[in-house]
This record gives sequence, C-alpha cells and structure tokens, in this order.
Amino acid sequence: MSTEFAVEAQSLVKTYPGGVEAVRGISFDVRRGESFGLLGPNGAGKTTTIGMLTTAVTPTSGRAVLAGRDVARDPVGSRAISSVVFQDAVVDAPLTGRQNLELHLRLWGVARSEGRRRLEELGTAVGLTDILDRAVATYSGGERRRLEIIRALLSAPQVLFLDEPTVGLDTRVRHDLFDVVTTLRERTGVTVILTTHYLDEAERLCDRLAVIDNGALVACDTPAALLASMGPEVLELRVDRADLPTRLLEEAGVPHRHTSVVGSTVVVSLASITAEEVTQALERVGVLVMSATRRRPTLDDVYLRLTGAQLRASDN
Amino acid sequence: MTTATLTPTRPLVASAATPRVRALPVLTARRLALTVRSPRALLVPLLGPVMFAMVVAPALANTVSSPAGHARYMTFVSLATAGLLIPLNCLLFGLGVLVDRRSGAMRELLVAPIRRQSIVLGNLVAALAVTALQIAVLIGAAALRGATFVTSSRVLWFLAGGALLVVVMYSLAEVLSIRLGSPEEYTGSLPVFAIVPFFFAGSLYPITSLPHWLADAAKVLPLTHALALFRYGLTTQGGQALHNIWGMTNDTAMALLSLAVLAAYAVAALAGAVRLFTKTCTS
Repeated sequence: MSTEFAVEAQSLVKTYPGGVEAVRGISFDVRRGESFGLLGPNGAGKTTTIGMLTTAVTPTSGRAVLAGRDVARDPVGSRAISSVVFQDAVVDAPLTGRQNLELHLRLWGVARSEGRRRLEELGTAVGLTDILDRAVATYSGGERRRLEIIRALLSAPQVLFLDEPTVGLDTRVRHDLFDVVTTLRERTGVTVILTTHYLDEAERLCDRLAVIDNGALVACDTPAALLASMGPEVLELRVDRADLPTRLLEEAGVPHRHTSVVGSTVVVSLASITAEEVTQALERVGVLVMSATRRRPTLDDVYLRLTGAQLRASDN
Repeated sequence: MTTATLTPTRPLVASAATPRVRALPVLTARRLALTVRSPRALLVPLLGPVMFAMVVAPALANTVSSPAGHARYMTFVSLATAGLLIPLNCLLFGLGVLVDRRSGAMRELLVAPIRRQSIVLGNLVAALAVTALQIAVLIGAAALRGATFVTSSRVLWFLAGGALLVVVMYSLAEVLSIRLGSPEEYTGSLPVFAIVPFFFAGSLYPITSLPHWLADAAKVLPLTHALALFRYGLTTQGGQALHNIWGMTNDTAMALLSLAVLAAYAVAALAGAVRLFTKTCTS
C-alpha cells in the first residue's frame, strides 16, 4: 500500500458475538498531515472503527494500514507510530501528571533527554506545567483531557487518534481544546483521526469528514462540500403532524432526496425548489405549516438527509 | 493558553518494535507505584499472617504440644503462615489489576508498542517483589517470637518454592480478575482461593492427620508442595512434610518432585493467564 497515506482502511468489518454488525465494510484513506473526522451518532461504529485501527478491536475482516504498517501483521510497529486519546479518561489517577507522561515516554521508547524536553515544551504549550506534579485525581475534566492530549503527542506519533475528545466537557473547555489540537497539529504536522458527534468540532477541526451511520460509511468529503450538497439555503418548517411521510411530500412534488423529517420538523434543501413551492405543496396535501425559517444548512441537515437520523446538538 | 514554539515532528521512537525486556521494568515500576503508595499498603496484608505467627502459633503450641515440642510446633505453624500470606497478597494484587482495567490506564498500555504479555509479566514481577519483602518481615517477626529457622544452602528450596507459589497464585488472580466482572465478585472469591486451601495443605497439622481421602486431595494442591519445600528449606524438620506427600526416603529426590509439581502448576497457570489476557484484551 502507498506511503502517501497515513491511514488506509480497506473494507473493515466488525461483527460482535451475537451477530451485532458494528462496522459493515468501511473504507477510506487519510493523507499524511490531514485531519480526518468520523462523524456519526452514538452507536454508529466510530469507536469500533478506531479500535480496529489501533489494535484494540480485532476486525472480522478487512485490512488497516498505518503509515505503511499493516495493523494485523505488525501490531507493535503500528502502535509505535500512533497514539490514542480515548473517550473516557485513561490515566492512572493516583499518580502525578508527570508520572503518567513519563510512563508513556518509556513505553514508547523515547530517549530520556528528548522526552523531558518535549514534556516541558508540550506542558507549557497547553498550560499544564504548574500542575504536572499533582496527582491526576485532583485535576478537573479539562485538565485531564489536556494531559491526555499532550501524553499522546509526546512520542511524536505519525497518527493521532482522538476518540470523542471533548465529550462531557463544558463549552469553554471544549473550545480551549480545539485551540490546543489545532495549534499542536500545525506545529507538529501530525495526522489526526477524530471521532465526534459534535458538529462544531467536526467543522472546526477536520479537513475531511466521513459520515458514518449504522456501521456504514455514507459520505466522505470536506465539510464545505458536504454543506454545498444541500445548496445555499434550507427551509425549516414546523408542521401540524409528526413524522410526515416523505412519500406524501414526493406525491406533492417535493423531492425526497432534498427532504428530511424529524418529528414535526421538516427540512428541505432549496437547491432545486423554492420556499413558496414547498409551502404550496404541503398545503395541497393538507399539511398545516406552523412556522417556516430560511437558514443556511448545517452538518446536522447533511447527516439527517443522508441517514434519516439526527446528531445530538452541540453545546453551542 | 500559550502557544510556545514546538519543534517539528519527527518520529522519536527508537524502533518500531520495542523489545519485551524494555517494557518489563517500566510496567513493574508502574504496578509498584500504584500498589505501594504508602507503608499502609505494604503492612495491611501482613497483619493477619504476622498475628498468626506471633500470637496464634505460640498459643497453639502452648495448647497442643509438649514443652519439648513447643518451639518445634511454633516454627511449624509460623512458617505455614507464609502459605497464607502469599495467596492473600497475590489475590489482592489481582484486585488492583481489576480496578485498573475498569478505571485506570490499562487501555493506554494496550495501545503501547509493547507485547501485551509484558503487562501480565510486569504485574507478576511487582507481586514477587512485594511478596518477598513481606515474607522476609513475616519470617523475621516469627523468629523474634521464638520460632527457630536454619540457614543453609537448603534455603534455596524455600526461595524456589515461594517464587513458584507466587507465580501460581498471581496467575490465578489474573484469571479471576478477567473472569469475574466486579470487585465485589472478586473479593467474594478470596476466601475460596486464599484461605480454604490453607487448612488442607499441612499448615496447622500434617496432612497425614486428615482422613485418607482428604490427604490424597491435599497432595494435589500446589500449596501443600510449597509448604513442604518451605519446611525442608528452613527448618530442622527436614523432609517430613515431603515424606507425607511422596512416601520416599530420599529428601532431595522428594524436594525435586515437589518443585517439579509446583513448576508445572506455575507454567500452566502463567501460560493460561497470559493467553486469556491477550485473548480478552481485544474485543
């Protein structure tokens, strides 16, 4: 496989005992230095996909390569050039921040002097130097997450996996972490694979996004291109009934592929139809429009259109 | 937040495959740092066995033996408390591993460029180190109380038997920490594996004092062979406990047989634990 790519996933499948198909044939490539996002709701298969790329999960079939190293044939080698920031805190809370970081340095075989230099550098970059000698059990959620991020970068990995890195954190801390990841990525050139169900995170941090639903990859493109597929504007309507069948709208002349329905909210892309035509179509089929708003499309609209499901709203 | 200049990335890892030997001391040091954070963590597991050696053993010796045999019986029982300390200590180590899996940095270790067997072996070496220190304290306390131990080259049988018993019991702890989902279940299993065998392995009385069928069952227990080696290695009673197992007259031959039994248990238990760990650490 090519060394142009930092990550190559070929037809990855994971079926758990009991027949649960968590990942159903996902394939994608990530260029070196790129920031690539896996976007989808809880249970879509994002963490399982990351697990297969980081050797935490054994694929049922398919192949994964990190910077030219086949993950199945050379698991130790592929782990040597990657690092992971997990969704849950994965630190030794009784130990100090510094002890946790030094453990990582030693396990990844980083020379002592170089490791110390990077530890001080990264600690300063993210503002953790003053608390490194305290037990991690005393850290706030944001401090723990920053510690995990710099820990993952200490060995200068070629590929950095961030699995839902800001889940459970408040808005200000989340945005601080966006800055940290962006800055560190710019300075070190690391390839980032990020899983998230936060739209602002996906848009802000990712060069390209793969939309995952029910274990399958349904779209893969830049955030701008995905948004452009919805057209410059969408019309969001609240109607008098829930779960309006899109078949009904089709009969009225509103194309299904430009429409999504969640509860009593209908969102229609105005790429090929006008707002007036939509409202008239609804009136023809006896649907009462309670409110109508024209706005710019969001990734939530993209996801809804692609999958028929809605992502959880971000803290913003 | 500051944005200090960072040097551009280049891989810092010395080689893609970290040799096993490099990971082992790191993992051992980590487990020791987590387990022995205060003197209390070292002393609490010692309390029961030391009390047994310093209080119960002399009291039993006063009650059941003649004045001539007092010191002999006290030594007999005191040394047996090592057979209580080792399983208890190892199983308590396993509890720490179970907690680690649930809320510690275990997942970080699983994505490190090390062979995953090293994680089990690192914990085992830490268990060996801590247990060795505690056994030394226990023997010292018993000697202060009046137990009599000999020092000769035979002490190597004691050391080998003790080390192999630690391997057996820690491997069992590792398996239990994987198989039993919760700390509550795990703690509930401690009496079965740490305390019950103590009463059948020739700790307080020779196994020949038991009904015939129980004595035969006791010969299967690794603890029985370990205690026999302890007594052969450290006491003037020589190979009596070994003779109760094997029925031979050559003490060295019997010691070798018991050591071989313990070694077989240790190899099988450790191999099983490592295999189960590496199989279950990925889903």
